[in-house]
Amino acid sequence: MAASYTYGKTLLKVEDVSLEYDGRPILKRVSAEIKDIIRSDRVQGQVVGFLGPSGIGKTQLFRIIAGLNKPTSGRVTINGEDRPVQAGEVGVVAQNYPLFEHRTVISNLLLAAKQKEKDDKVAHDKVVQYLNDFDLIDKARLFPAQLSGGQRQRCAIIQQILCSDHFLLMDEPFSGLDLLMLEKTSELIQKVANMDELNTIIVVTHDVTAAAAVADHLWLMGRDHDAGGKPLPGSHIVETYDLIERDLCWHPQIITQPRFIEFVREVKERFRSL
Amino acid sequence: MNEAIAVLSPNRVISKKTIRWLVGFQLLMLFFVWLFSPTVFLPKPREVFQALGEMWVEGLGGELITSFYLNLEAIALSTLLSLLLAYLTVIPFFRPIVALLSKLRFLSMVGLTFFFTLMAATGHELKLFLLVFSVSVFFVTGMAEVVASIPKEKFDLARTLRMGEWRVVWEVVVLGQADKAFEVLRQNAAMGWMMLTMVEGISRSEGGVGAMLLNQNKHFHLSAVFAIQLTILVLGLAQDYAIGLLRKIFCPYADLTLERA
Repeated sequence: MAASYTYGKTLLKVEDVSLEYDGRPILKRVSAEIKDIIRSDRVQGQVVGFLGPSGIGKTQLFRIIAGLNKPTSGRVTINGEDRPVQAGEVGVVAQNYPLFEHRTVISNLLLAAKQKEKDDKVAHDKVVQYLNDFDLIDKARLFPAQLSGGQRQRCAIIQQILCSDHFLLMDEPFSGLDLLMLEKTSELIQKVANMDELNTIIVVTHDVTAAAAVADHLWLMGRDHDAGGKPLPGSHIVETYDLIERDLCWHPQIITQPRFIEFVREVKERFRSL
Repeated sequence: MNEAIAVLSPNRVISKKTIRWLVGFQLLMLFFVWLFSPTVFLPKPREVFQALGEMWVEGLGGELITSFYLNLEAIALSTLLSLLLAYLTVIPFFRPIVALLSKLRFLSMVGLTFFFTLMAATGHELKLFLLVFSVSVFFVTGMAEVVASIPKEKFDLARTLRMGEWRVVWEVVVLGQADKAFEVLRQNAAMGWMMLTMVEGISRSEGGVGAMLLNQNKHFHLSAVFAIQLTILVLGLAQDYAIGLLRKIFCPYADLTLERA
């Protein structure tokens, strides 16, 4: 049985975003929306899986949502504000988890915390709290080069959470992970999402199963095709899947259930037609 | 036995102890080659050390101090100037200027001495200008390349942390590349010693080890020439070590990912 929930205010809105490069359309009128999911019995954050074949323009849209690039037309807004998103308002965890290599873990995190929190003591306490929550307290004085891949990932996530306004974009977090690490990363994403009601994570990935296992909504990006089956230039979100409506999320062992496997097969089938 | 094989195998990491043995052995070999060399014009170690002793009495120490301070002054000025110019390449307006300056490294000192003489008020100033110019054109080339090769993701990281563009420059370009700046400095500071003899030959009023070397060379006192060169080499190595030490102290993260750290 599906858990009871309602939708609250719009947290992030992609409004008719188009992008051209040298006169060539990359993105064509992309529109999407993320709303606050409200569950009476618990804090529920939002996780959107953003899927699409390579070269479709995912990175371009990713950068526009992060405020790092400007679209040719349209805009991305957050928290209902009537202005385009600015760099820094949406956290970005890139694929190789970049950190400032010349700073220690705690220095990297304090730098991020102080960007938002003016009181040094409060910023420090916040950082220590996160280091404890994410089992990194004993690594605080190490440099990023001394961390393992998983520790680096957690450090990069904390850094971005400390600085952004509840939004986190993650680029290919499941890439190249073994089964155990994949599960750990999925748990980490859900843990971060559920730390605050307004926390919203967009996961850009090729891994349909991992995305479906962790997300409450899936966006599938692709191109339209002409009558001859040839792809038309300019991609957009061709399909949105609501996994809550399908009762496919918030269940601990959902990935082993036949209806989940069937859903993944359906998405993969659609993926191949893009 | 394993270490002995490792010494001759590609991409093998060997212990510090083995490295010390290796360096000692190679220096000893070099010394023997020198000692037993059949070349008539190559002064023997005994002659060189004898010449060194004589020159020390004649004031080599004082000349070394004069040259050392001149070189230090030139390195400090070149570092300031080159780093400033290299960091300025973050502003598109300065990129062609810096590119042009880096092309000046192809010019010969001989053709420029006249212009620097006109600009300088004293012999010391002339030597300083020549040295700063010679080192800076190489330093700025190396450092501008370091700035240009910073990956986009580093800038993006700073921007996602709500940094303004000047703060991005400070964090990513200045602090983030400090270890590389030390490395470029280390490589180019050696250039100062190389140019010093020539520059001190142009203006001999203050003396210096370069003027001394040119005098000995003119009279074909090869033992003395070798003794001065050896002294310069030792000072250069000490300078290299000092810059490397500063890099280790200020940038302890720099070599963490290196195989041969």
